[in-house]
Amino acid sequence: MVPLPSKDHYAFGFHKPETYVYKSKKGLDMSVERDISYQKLEPVWMRDIRGKAYDIFFSKKMPSWGVSLHDLSFDDMYYYIKPVESQVSKWKKLPKDIKDTYDRIGIPEMEKKFLSGVSAQYESEVVYKSVQKTLSAKGVIFADMDTALREYPELVRAYFGKIVPSSDNKFAALNTSVWSGGSFIYVPKNVRIELPLQAYFRINAANMGQFERTLIIADEGSFVHYVEGCTAPIYSTDSLHSAVVEIFVKKGARVRYTTVQNWSTNVYNLVTKRARVEEEGIMEWVDGNLGSKITMKYPSVYLVGAKAHGEVLSIAYAGHGQTQDAGGKAIHLAPETTSQIISKSIARNGGRTSYRGMVKMIHGIGKSKSKVVCDALLIDDMSRSDTYPTMDIQEASAISEHEASVSKINDDQLFYLTSRGIDQQQATSMIVNGFIEPIVKELPLEYAVELNRLIELQMEGSVG
Amino acid sequence: MKQKQILSFKNVSVSTKTDTEILHNISLTFRQDDISVIMGPNGSGKSTLTQAIMGNPEYKIKNSICFNNKNISNLPTEKRSALGLFLAFQSPIAIPGVSVMQILRTAYQELHAAKIGKNTNKVNAIFNTRWEGKDITISEFVDMVEKYAGKLHIDSGLLTRGIHDGFSGGERKKIELLQALILKPVFAIFDEIDTGLDVDALKTVANGIRELHKQGTGIILITHYQRILSYIPPDVVYVVKQGSVIARGDASLVSRIDKEGYKQFT
Repeated sequence: MVPLPSKDHYAFGFHKPETYVYKSKKGLDMSVERDISYQKLEPVWMRDIRGKAYDIFFSKKMPSWGVSLHDLSFDDMYYYIKPVESQVSKWKKLPKDIKDTYDRIGIPEMEKKFLSGVSAQYESEVVYKSVQKTLSAKGVIFADMDTALREYPELVRAYFGKIVPSSDNKFAALNTSVWSGGSFIYVPKNVRIELPLQAYFRINAANMGQFERTLIIADEGSFVHYVEGCTAPIYSTDSLHSAVVEIFVKKGARVRYTTVQNWSTNVYNLVTKRARVEEEGIMEWVDGNLGSKITMKYPSVYLVGAKAHGEVLSIAYAGHGQTQDAGGKAIHLAPETTSQIISKSIARNGGRTSYRGMVKMIHGIGKSKSKVVCDALLIDDMSRSDTYPTMDIQEASAISEHEASVSKINDDQLFYLTSRGIDQQQATSMIVNGFIEPIVKELPLEYAVELNRLIELQMEGSVG
Repeated sequence: MKQKQILSFKNVSVSTKTDTEILHNISLTFRQDDISVIMGPNGSGKSTLTQAIMGNPEYKIKNSICFNNKNISNLPTEKRSALGLFLAFQSPIAIPGVSVMQILRTAYQELHAAKIGKNTNKVNAIFNTRWEGKDITISEFVDMVEKYAGKLHIDSGLLTRGIHDGFSGGERKKIELLQALILKPVFAIFDEIDTGLDVDALKTVANGIRELHKQGTGIILITHYQRILSYIPPDVVYVVKQGSVIARGDASLVSRIDKEGYKQFT
């Protein structure tokens, strides 16, 4: 047996003492849901949305497809923890433990080097946020959702829950009912934000439920690249992260949304992400899933305008005790729309990866095109990979392609590299990194380095 | 010690994992000064011999393959490479996403570690921007790779592509030779490097091998044909047939085979 790398090599498994200004009682009932809204002094309409979603959450059954969520206990979670009284825009103004956490993760350093703006969520609230002044001057809004709801209520109201209604699925309902934090971004017409905006999500408490809500509106001809990262301490009990992300890509706009998900292996990660793309707009999801106990996540593109383009690039790694059920959906609703879903997954040491995806092309959209490629790599015989593609093509002249492959680390490739003096472990890392290279090259260099480093750490001790 | 290293087989038998014996009781000696040639008909076990030298785990070895009288039969492949053994594969496998330059960079740092004083920190195989070389900088290294690539008429675009991924037959052979020229092994084994090359490519490859020999690398050439040997005159020729060494001689053996074929050896 090879040693398990996850605990030893997970650099973000530390935790700090739990200090908070408010913590809801354990479990979810009406009073907890009401309390969150009360704490935030929300408008009545949002309170109503929460209330309706609360009922939907309890009326919906757990998903009958996909991964078993049998062990997930809603009663053992804390649904709202407010870590500090108010948000700051200078790192040094954060309480020491929180600042130290972000220093160890390296966020302030990254901000200095290559980001346009940073938002940092700790438990349920965004505790730090800053954005370059030049962007604010151009009318860009980058705020946490709670602030946006206070300062731009009409804008939020017009878009909130419009692509992911709370009735969509049980976890969308849960998020809508108890959401807190997350990012709100508005990019005005023809404004291009060259450097990425980053949000960082950190769970510190045990048995924590984190339910951030993100809304991005890219007005006509604009561009934004949003990056999110996430980590948590290792606990013997489970935590839950259940986010909803809604993105509106207006005519000719382009949004790229990059995720490097590295939750500790006691976190359920059940996320609904969807984008609506208008005429000639481009939506790109770059979705890296390395951590968590169970991830179920299928970023979607709804191509509603002619010539809209959607892309999902997905990388998943599953080690011991992990299930990565990931993929993507492309729904073609307008002529000459194009989509591409590329999924690469790696399973080792008993981990399971699944590609689950859907392509739908309605009648009357003419020569629209879609391509799905999913490749799985198995490092050993204990691991497993499955593919669940759904194709619903109603238009005869539309073109849809699907390719899938499952391969094992090839002994001939290992022999070749070792014959060049490279040891087994390094050779395995090189092959795995080569396998995901087509997606990694799409990441900004700093994240590409980080992702490769993480994969390499996961591979340590992988060859006996 | 330098220039006088020896690779030898002492009554070695090689069989597959499923116990089919392919090479029977073979004894051979290769010297670093020499250009040694192994000839023989198809299926005689020549490629198996090269795989056994490099330690392909698909094969089992009885008795000793020795490097300077030290038995290396149980050494893992990368350790054999570290001793100075190199194999140019007959049909090298493609490794998508792992570029030629990346392999060369990583291998060079592994193999020349002592020489260039590599510290103990593990080099990141992918973004090894922390070049550990003391006698050569990363840019000098890249220049060296490009210089040799130029000599071999290799399109420099190939260097940053996944190795052998979609490369033509001729490109594969040249990329194998390029690695030998950069890594400067004690012994380089070329498994049918001449197969499938046109006349111009054959001359280019032969020039490359001669240059490698001049730099001090012992050459072991596996071939069916005397064609390449008119450019690279051998010092020693072995004939392998049906898994046994059936003749040993000098360059004159090559012309005998050319005239009369392998049938004369029984």
